[in-house]
Amino acid sequence: MTRIRFDHRPFSRATRALVAGLGLVLLSSCKLADVFSLSGNQSTMLTAGPVAKAQWDLFMVTVYVCTFIFIVVGAILAYAQIKFRARSESDEHAEPPPEAHGNPLVEIGLIAASVALLVIIAIPTLRDIWYTHDVPEDEKGNAMEVVATGNQWWFKFEYPSELVKLPNGGEAPLVTGNELVVPAGIPVRVQLRTIDVIHSFWIPKLAGKVDMMPNRANFLWFKADKPGYFYGQCAEFCGESHAIMRFRVIALSPRDYAQWLENQKAPARTVTPALLADAVDRSARVQFAAMKRNPGEALSASPAFDADPLNAWREMQHPDVGENAQLIATGRQLFAAKTCVSCHNIRGHEGVGISGPDLTRVGARSTIAAGVLENTHERMHAWIKNPNHFKPGNKMWFGGYNVKDGDNWKPNFTMNDQEIDALVAYLHSLK
Amino acid sequence: MAEVIAQSGFTGKQTAQRATTFALFPRPTAKTGLVSWLTTVDHKKIGMLYGGFAILFFLIGGIEALMIRTQLMVPNNRFISAQLYSELFTMHGTTMIFLAVMPLNAAFFNLLIPIQVGARDVAFPRLNSFSLWVWVVGAILLNVGWISHFVPSWNFGGAPDVGWFGYAPLTSKSFTPDLSTDFWVLGIQVLGISSIVASLNFIVTIINLRAPGLTMMRLPVFTWMALVTSFLLVLALPAIAIALVMVMFDRNFGTNFFEVSGGGQPILWQHLFWVFGHPEVYILILPPMGYVSEILPTFARKPLFGYPIVVFSGVAIGFIGFGVWSHHMFTTGLGTVATAAFALATMAIAVPTGVKVFNWIGTLWGGRIVTRVPMMFALGFIWMFMMGGLSGIMHSAAPADAQQQDSYFVIAHFHYVLIGGATFALLAAIHFWFPKFFGRMVPEFWGKLSFWIIFVGFNATFFPMHFLGLNGMPRRTWTYDSNMGWNEGNLFATYGAYLLGLGMFTYFAVLVWSYFKGEKCGNDPWDARTLEWSIPSPPPEHNFAAIPTVHARDAWWYEKTHKEEIAQEKAAHIKAEESHGGIHMPDQSWYPLFAAIGLLVGAYNLAQLHYPVTMFGQQVLASHLPLAITGLGLMVAACYLWALEGPGGYHLHIDAEGKVTESRDDHH
Repeated sequence: MTRIRFDHRPFSRATRALVAGLGLVLLSSCKLADVFSLSGNQSTMLTAGPVAKAQWDLFMVTVYVCTFIFIVVGAILAYAQIKFRARSESDEHAEPPPEAHGNPLVEIGLIAASVALLVIIAIPTLRDIWYTHDVPEDEKGNAMEVVATGNQWWFKFEYPSELVKLPNGGEAPLVTGNELVVPAGIPVRVQLRTIDVIHSFWIPKLAGKVDMMPNRANFLWFKADKPGYFYGQCAEFCGESHAIMRFRVIALSPRDYAQWLENQKAPARTVTPALLADAVDRSARVQFAAMKRNPGEALSASPAFDADPLNAWREMQHPDVGENAQLIATGRQLFAAKTCVSCHNIRGHEGVGISGPDLTRVGARSTIAAGVLENTHERMHAWIKNPNHFKPGNKMWFGGYNVKDGDNWKPNFTMNDQEIDALVAYLHSLK
Repeated sequence: MAEVIAQSGFTGKQTAQRATTFALFPRPTAKTGLVSWLTTVDHKKIGMLYGGFAILFFLIGGIEALMIRTQLMVPNNRFISAQLYSELFTMHGTTMIFLAVMPLNAAFFNLLIPIQVGARDVAFPRLNSFSLWVWVVGAILLNVGWISHFVPSWNFGGAPDVGWFGYAPLTSKSFTPDLSTDFWVLGIQVLGISSIVASLNFIVTIINLRAPGLTMMRLPVFTWMALVTSFLLVLALPAIAIALVMVMFDRNFGTNFFEVSGGGQPILWQHLFWVFGHPEVYILILPPMGYVSEILPTFARKPLFGYPIVVFSGVAIGFIGFGVWSHHMFTTGLGTVATAAFALATMAIAVPTGVKVFNWIGTLWGGRIVTRVPMMFALGFIWMFMMGGLSGIMHSAAPADAQQQDSYFVIAHFHYVLIGGATFALLAAIHFWFPKFFGRMVPEFWGKLSFWIIFVGFNATFFPMHFLGLNGMPRRTWTYDSNMGWNEGNLFATYGAYLLGLGMFTYFAVLVWSYFKGEKCGNDPWDARTLEWSIPSPPPEHNFAAIPTVHARDAWWYEKTHKEEIAQEKAAHIKAEESHGGIHMPDQSWYPLFAAIGLLVGAYNLAQLHYPVTMFGQQVLASHLPLAITGLGLMVAACYLWALEGPGGYHLHIDAEGKVTESRDDHH
């Protein structure tokens, strides 16, 4: 019989020490607890509504069952590896064990045990498939409906039951972009639509994702238990800027929500010297607590914003202090002159376009460019100056700033810093 | 034995009588040098070519992964652009699946199946060479777009950037107007041709060329898994072939299969893709289960526990694998009943998979476990595959999957299955069979060192990704903001990826060193159990001096314990075969290569069909149609000449001292 050559343990003590040392360096350079943290803005563990909670609870059932299997099978495997390990050359070349080929009873027993464990997962799975699918019957009467439409690369939200007056006398559903504001404690049924490719609508703390499929009437539902500020993101690859197709969901108390709706339904705010003189009017429209805000490291929210995002968002609803009516008027003219109006709607002002996000209340949103940049003057300036830097391939850059000339793109218009400042002042006046 | 040969109709002389052949080129006969590799029909050389190309692409795919991890190392990073990132993750997935793991499996199919069934080659040697070169054509088509980054005038729009899954309608002309998607479509299509051709070849080889006594229930488990895999390929690939034709027609000829404005249904693509894509998962993992089922008994020094159950569970996985595709689509709005059905089917497939794990542990139980490098990778496989399998069970709970789908949790899951599972088993297999095909051992120290670096690096990379996914990080994202709680996990995963890269580099560098300097070894350095260990290392061209007769499941183990009986049998076989004209060997041929080149020219031009052909800035042709037709015509002509050329062949004669002489005078 051929003999396998026996090797002594190949690693010296020095090698092992070196490996352990490298491992320690690796570990200490990261905060290990943070590697395994589940406390982020899109945590699926920190649920804020019944759908996400059902999904997390079901996930934990699978975790318990799978951990149990892993521990039992792993313990047997580890025991076998240690117990039956050949420890010396003579051990390796001892008479091979008897040529056993299997044991039907053991096999059938293990198959039966596996099936039993899977049934533990299957029962709550089936229950939750139906529960998470649609608003439960007894809550249907109470539910509100919104339509979310995916675009490369932003989300449009429509409120079909909240009609607004159009300047031409007609009526249309209220439209917002990238920030979905809903009342807390009420089931929300979201119709999922897309205008181009497949997107997926995901608010981890409120509900798992459902895809926005072309030519399919998909929907999902969620309910926010309490008022809150939630992060969401497109979860299906949809092209170059998929990573930065983000949105927010803001759940408000019913009273705040009603107030928000009322403000949203009014035509765009027009800043005049007379308006600025009337300080009472400025604060009367929305009564939210004020908060200080600091620039932070993250592009989409400062640490102060993240510390209490809901209040920070409320602060955004106020008109800015120190508005300059002259500058805002210049910005409004530029918004038309630079052809922004052809893609963006500003209800009551010049904007009539529908292919870009509705900007009627853009100044009151906490982020711009689909949840990518915090909505500060500086960041809006940077965004308008070079949108392609923040969102590669976007249609404002390819189609607005630049137009197709044969196979190439050529600049359509340019803007200097003063012009951008005026535009920012105008857009930030739209509260 | 003489009767067996007579009944099989194999006399060697018949081939000589039937040949009326026509050859445009003299038939190549070189045994060494470039021509011998280009025209080879020897399954071992073809296997090595598959393996060499696959390892090359494995390293390229690895570099793509490291670039992805570098981009994600810190938030809001700008190391690479969003566009390049899309190309990198598309090509990382496509490369690892189609150009690394599948061809590595194909390499082992080629190297091992004929020997494990006791044959001298595959059933159709020239067709085998054709599969190889068609695969190379597919690999070129998929990667040709990279050239656009270096030579702007070759404007293919870069490498494919629609994801390896290519979801419609992102693949339509309106959203991806450049040529990269056309090359992706044709590249995958061509790879599919290669796989179907190869699979048919292996199915025929396994069923028809088994040595006397080798019943189906005596087949080595690896060969069994290869058989199941080949059937899966033959049945699954047509689905994607059809879907790819639909995309091609939508893009080039104005059809509306997936074109939303024309009433097309993008969901149709997903069903067709995953009807292929899910069996594909088992196509990737069943052969690795086969390697492990060979390696564990060898180093536990006892036969596989529950052989019939391991085989039947492999077949069961193959069957159920066709009924679970929609679990990739739980978030597409399937409706409650369909979701429930696919959730339960997915749980069901966990049972035969679990059965395999139980039987591997049963194999270790009571054995004498010899811890060599292949065994360490095989044991690592069981541990890592268990983790990947269990997180797979978690996905079967469809409502929970709504949170995990397209998140990093899924990335963690399938990398545990495909690296911890398939790749660990492949690394075990490479280390295990390297001595057989190169005649040299890989040093244990360096093998074990690379194992530990890979094991630690792999877990450091992918274990944190479970948590990133549960913390809401979606996959295929070029960047992320710094306030999401993903910074530390990503940094850690990137360190892990570098370590994994170092481990892989060590592993393959040691292989290269061993090829030149490794210690020489004999037939059977591991004291193994299957037929390939009964022949010299590296095996001679004809594999077996005498076709073996198989008396038991582990044929070589039986031979080792019944030496006298086998020696007599072999002497009789050699005599019988010599009396029929010696060992018949197939001739080399240029035509498989030429047919593949024709396909390359055809597909390369078909991809750019509607674009004018320019040379030195001048338009030469209005479209690529004439060139495409020329290429496909070349392929048809080569196939025709291939048929006219005839199988050819020559004879080997082995004298009493084992000296081999060649004779080819009886025909040509």
